[in-house]
Amino acid sequence: MTPLLQFVDVSFSYEQRSVLEGVSFCVEQGECGALIGPNGIGKTTLLRLAAGVLACSRGTVSLAGRAVHTLGRRETARVVALVPQRFEVPFDFTVEQIVEQGRTPYLGLFAGFKRPDRQAVERALGLADVTSLRNRIFNELSGGERQRVKIALGLAQEPRLLLLDEPTQNLDLGRQLELLDSIRALNDEGVTILAAMHDLQLIPGTFSSVLLLEPDQEARKGSPQDILRPEILERAFDCPPRRHPKLVSENQVALEKTS
Amino acid sequence: METEIAEKIEPPASSRADRRIGFSDRALFTLILLALFVGLGVVLVLSAGMGATRIGVREVLGSLFHGDRSQGTDLVILFDIRLPRVLASALVGTALSVAGLLFQGLFRNPMADPYVIGSSGGAALGAGIGLFLLPRFSFLGFGATASMAFIGSVATIALVYWLARIGGRVPVVTLLLAGFAVSTMLSYSTYFLVVLDDNFGLRTRVLASWLTGVIAVPRWTQLEVSGLMIGCGLIFCFPLARRLNTLALGEDYARQVGVQVERTHLAIILAGSLITAAAVSLGGVISFVGLIVPHMARLVLGPDHVRLLPVTAITGAIFLVLADTLARTVLAPSEIPVGLLTAFIGGPFFLYLLRRTRREYAL
Repeated sequence: MTPLLQFVDVSFSYEQRSVLEGVSFCVEQGECGALIGPNGIGKTTLLRLAAGVLACSRGTVSLAGRAVHTLGRRETARVVALVPQRFEVPFDFTVEQIVEQGRTPYLGLFAGFKRPDRQAVERALGLADVTSLRNRIFNELSGGERQRVKIALGLAQEPRLLLLDEPTQNLDLGRQLELLDSIRALNDEGVTILAAMHDLQLIPGTFSSVLLLEPDQEARKGSPQDILRPEILERAFDCPPRRHPKLVSENQVALEKTS
Repeated sequence: METEIAEKIEPPASSRADRRIGFSDRALFTLILLALFVGLGVVLVLSAGMGATRIGVREVLGSLFHGDRSQGTDLVILFDIRLPRVLASALVGTALSVAGLLFQGLFRNPMADPYVIGSSGGAALGAGIGLFLLPRFSFLGFGATASMAFIGSVATIALVYWLARIGGRVPVVTLLLAGFAVSTMLSYSTYFLVVLDDNFGLRTRVLASWLTGVIAVPRWTQLEVSGLMIGCGLIFCFPLARRLNTLALGEDYARQVGVQVERTHLAIILAGSLITAAAVSLGGVISFVGLIVPHMARLVLGPDHVRLLPVTAITGAIFLVLADTLARTVLAPSEIPVGLLTAFIGGPFFLYLLRRTRREYAL
């Protein structure tokens, strides 16, 4: 079967600074993948390459078997949606008005909203559990609520692949767990997910695979049990084991619980 | 779990009720538009009757619908002085308000306005150069004043945009500083043209009135040219309105959902400049209209540009017709420049907005 997302020997650099070098991996339809790696390794860049916002300097990024650079921007946006980490709205848009913008790839310059667009927005609001917030001003919401609205915005594109950039950042523990529930529910609904995750302890039990980016090494992909191992993480994150004594044991507990 | 998800997908009854409210919301919007159209008609007729010679509403309407220009002084006053001026005010008000809305969308910043960011100043300098140095120049039937005003406006916005942008954002502080510096340079450059003109003739008076913002009595051909420019600009704007909503969520996001960001920015700059240039060639540099009117409209309708655009266009016309009527009648037979009046109203309003957005001062 053709993978939904495939990177083949992809490199990218911002002017002189090389960020990604020869990255290859694939994400299958229905996967729920976590993207991890130390700060500055290029997680956000990788997601932006996958969404077609950036173009790679070498290699090929393919979506459902077609190279991203051969797809039009709007066509790409119907397959993949990127939920950004930072999102600033200068005016007082309501949640519904924000989520409606997710339909942009389906609307021409002169076309207004049609029934399928309206249904897609309703579905996105429902799946992200923000229907009750639809008339609230986005800038007045809490961090957790905003995060869910951002996910609804991505879902309104009706993507086959949803890319999340640090979705649990700046959320308290309760909101983090709520968000993981949402991610699991979305994946159960058939949405393929690739999420850049900062907090490794949140991965087991939610994500079915882990993609690790590490300095001077090839990208490594496997199950959480395979990747979240002390010797692998120590090398990737350049940290001595005594600095994170509880990580492995907690992962194991979580894994045991889920199995 | 499955039922939970099914519930999430199927909108609950309350949200369907919301959709019905959405429909009545649309009806309310149509009603607002109709009321504004009627309001504009009333204001135009009343304003055309006001001045040193009072003309009754019945006479104004009678002359408009069965008018014969050869009969009576009132008709001459009405057709040759009042109507051109009132229509010019309406056009200028529409143009400046819509330009303000467009620039606020472009800069993602509610403080942008043709005056504040210097595009009016650029248009005035361009128009001055056209008037003084290229009096015989013509492009596509537009005279030197209108064409050069357009070029001046485009160049100024492009410059301020380039100066004020930091990492894809245009913070309030850099926008205001860049706009202030560029505007000051432009207005003194325009004064310099006055100094160069040793005749102190008609052209100098025209230029001086541009700098203070006075809607002079235009010739009908001038009105036609400006009306055409503003009409073209507005037609160009309507498809941009939905894109402005998407751009409000950030350039990166807009690019991600398939918006051609650079092309859209260029279209906004060109449309905004076209209508600013038309406004400046009729009324000079009139401050803050583009700030006040979109803000009032946003307070009532929210930030959706698709709705804001027509409402801002009509409200702008009403606002400036009223302001200009006040400017020419309050100290009659003397006249206050309408730019002075809008500065008196708009200045404090601008400061109020600045105070409200003070959290954005920090870079």
